[in-house]
Amino acid sequence: MKGLAPLFLGIFGTFAFSWVGLTVIPNWQIGALNPQSDEEGTDIYPLPQSGMVTRGARVYAANGCFYCHTEQVRAEYAGADIERKWGDRRSAPRDYIFKRPVLLGKMRMGQDLANIGARAPKEEESPAPAGGASPAPQGAAAPSGAVASAKAGSPPPAASPGSAVASKAPASPAPVASSSSPSAKPPAVAAAGASNASPSPAAAAAAGSPAVSPSPSAPWPEQTAGLPPMYSAAWHHVHLYSPRSVNFDSNMPSYRFLYRLRRITDARSSDALQLTGSDAPEQGWEVVPTFDARCLVAYMMALNQSHPLKDVRSAGAPAAASPAASPSPAPGGQPAK
Amino acid sequence: MNPVGIPLKEPSVSAAAGDTEQLERALIDASTRVPVLIFYTSAVGWLILGTLLAGFVSFKLHTPELLANVSFLTWGRVRPAHMNVMVYGWASMAGMGTAIWLMARLCRTVLRYPLLLVAGAGFWNLGVFLGLCGVLFGESTGYQWLEFPSYAAIILFVAYTLVASWVVLMFRFRRGDQIYITQWYLLGAFLWFPWVYAAGQLMLFVVPVQGVLQAAVGWWYANNLMFLWFGAIALGAVYYMIPKVIGRPIYSYHLAVIGFWTYALFSSWTGMQRLVDGPFPAWMVTASIAATILTLIPVATVGLNHHMTMQGYFPLMRYSPTLRFTVFGAMSYTVFSLLGILISLRSVARYLNFTQVSIAYSHLGLYAFFTMVIFGSMYYIVPRLIGREWRYGSLIKLHFWASAYGIGLMTLMLLAGGLAQGTSMENPSLAFSESVQSVLPYLRGRSLSGILLTASHFIFAYHFGLMLFGLGRKSTVPTFLNPVEAEEASAH
Repeated sequence: MKGLAPLFLGIFGTFAFSWVGLTVIPNWQIGALNPQSDEEGTDIYPLPQSGMVTRGARVYAANGCFYCHTEQVRAEYAGADIERKWGDRRSAPRDYIFKRPVLLGKMRMGQDLANIGARAPKEEESPAPAGGASPAPQGAAAPSGAVASAKAGSPPPAASPGSAVASKAPASPAPVASSSSPSAKPPAVAAAGASNASPSPAAAAAAGSPAVSPSPSAPWPEQTAGLPPMYSAAWHHVHLYSPRSVNFDSNMPSYRFLYRLRRITDARSSDALQLTGSDAPEQGWEVVPTFDARCLVAYMMALNQSHPLKDVRSAGAPAAASPAASPSPAPGGQPAK
Repeated sequence: MNPVGIPLKEPSVSAAAGDTEQLERALIDASTRVPVLIFYTSAVGWLILGTLLAGFVSFKLHTPELLANVSFLTWGRVRPAHMNVMVYGWASMAGMGTAIWLMARLCRTVLRYPLLLVAGAGFWNLGVFLGLCGVLFGESTGYQWLEFPSYAAIILFVAYTLVASWVVLMFRFRRGDQIYITQWYLLGAFLWFPWVYAAGQLMLFVVPVQGVLQAAVGWWYANNLMFLWFGAIALGAVYYMIPKVIGRPIYSYHLAVIGFWTYALFSSWTGMQRLVDGPFPAWMVTASIAATILTLIPVATVGLNHHMTMQGYFPLMRYSPTLRFTVFGAMSYTVFSLLGILISLRSVARYLNFTQVSIAYSHLGLYAFFTMVIFGSMYYIVPRLIGREWRYGSLIKLHFWASAYGIGLMTLMLLAGGLAQGTSMENPSLAFSESVQSVLPYLRGRSLSGILLTASHFIFAYHFGLMLFGLGRKSTVPTFLNPVEAEEASAH
């Protein structure tokens, strides 16, 4: 080949083609989306993030959470995400317009977190004090059997899938699942079996949606013995501090470096972690979250795509059924719709 | 086979012309000595560090409590540290060293302005080091392959500008009108990289785009870095090394041209294939899937071209280290691309999108393809810079087999594990933790493969160190993997 001009032009042209095609044109198309609202201009979604949430996103990114957790729910036809109750509709570009960085993720060594905030117990939905209000049983009061089993080192890999299978067997009614060896079973898994009785939004969604198979067990446990309510802020702190005390099968590293051990001065601080068993600090000491940890939890509590979007069909919504069993409350605390 | 008649050295040219040419080459090689060795030495240093980090990451993934309580050793920080050290420390520096040497040789001119390159290497090392510290101390940005905080990115860009301006200068001083196909790839790589890097930085950090477009730009950047930077350098090196070692021109220049332009056109559009069925307009993903499928054209033309060039010369891989590594890399390029096509299909991505298969894919591209080609080039180039031959053929052989088995085992483990993980994840009647549990045994197997790779890299670094300290063999014959004379004797 003679002459550089065609070569340079070609190199530049191919690059420019790709740049325009995959970044500039999409930017015209979806680069300036606005929040949606209803006719009166209320019920705006999504809303800008608070400072703590923004900082929490940075903590989340800096510690690489997104290498194992996605924040995107695929449509029904593209995967089992909605069946897994990771969301009741697919994620759409508008869900992310205030996010920065956008941490869609590429790997699911852990659950999808796009709606982790929507799973929180209702009273926690609004920005909650990190401490969790419930004066939960502390220290020795907790069922130490469960913790002891968690402590017994990592289980042989064959054992844990087995127990998971036993507990989630879809058709089995709850009593069977929970009776099958309540002492040895990790608390989280045991609770999963029993969860169909709990009146949580998720269970309601499962029961209310006619399309879903009669599987009674919610996809995630609702309550774990001796721990704060599942997916409450206090629960997140305990989970970050000691993942395997919450979920025996968890593969998540502990993030103890986001917490501080300190001596109790006059009274136990309200945001001290409700730790049990071997994780509990000595008498007179308490474990409190650092500001980064509280931001991180605030970020997770704010992950909520349950608000319906006009341009996305929500799943399991034969229109008649949904108003009653509306699975997910709006951010403001009122039921959606 | 009978090796007689197959030239194991560079084809000897007729007396007078040959002498001048040899002399000229020796002069050029000598002029590239300092800058290229600086790039190579830094690269090998980063390779060792990146390998140690990789082993750590791999073990921590199935042993989550290992050193989890130290903030800068938490898995989520060590993993980007490993990735970025490998991408910017090892692969980019080794690739640039190779590209510089190839440029000087192919422009047939002695290396001018070496200070540009030396300064470039210095700044680049500084950038990688600062970026590594930033990531470990919790300043990672959250975009894959762009985790380095902006101060490190700026330094990298300055370093890069120095190197690229050198390339342009060299091109001005080149002799002869012919521009060999390798130069196309190298020129492409050196011009594409700054655009891709600048576009990525600008659209993510300086004037950030809104919402999900950040993820789109992020993956667009990562894929282009893989294809237009690493891929282009590696393919350029393959186009040089194979004909050079076997002493035979490439099979078809037309095929090479077709391969180049289709590669540039299609592979630059593949970025969104990693985001199949994500929250994007469907046309973006579909366009990338289509482009990924169309990369079959460059894969087929390039593969065919290399294959036909090698036709009849494959037995030479028994002797030449360069050829063995390079051909392994060139073959991996085909495998890498085919896997890329497979996992981008929607029906497959449904199962494999969020699993370890994407890790297998990255390693096939960056290791089995790029790194193996660069190893091959280094086995060719380093003796010419130092004037000594590699000391131990056996060490090269060990390096090759440890690397080949290591990456093979890793790919198999991650593919099989990803399949197990994906199928259980797509079955909502199984608890989610089931999918994690199902992949853990494979991750342990992957750690085993990491031990092999670690061994191979330490062997290579040791051997490279021997060369650096002038402890290579003084000989006019290159180091072969197997003794040529013995084979010949037994063949007759």
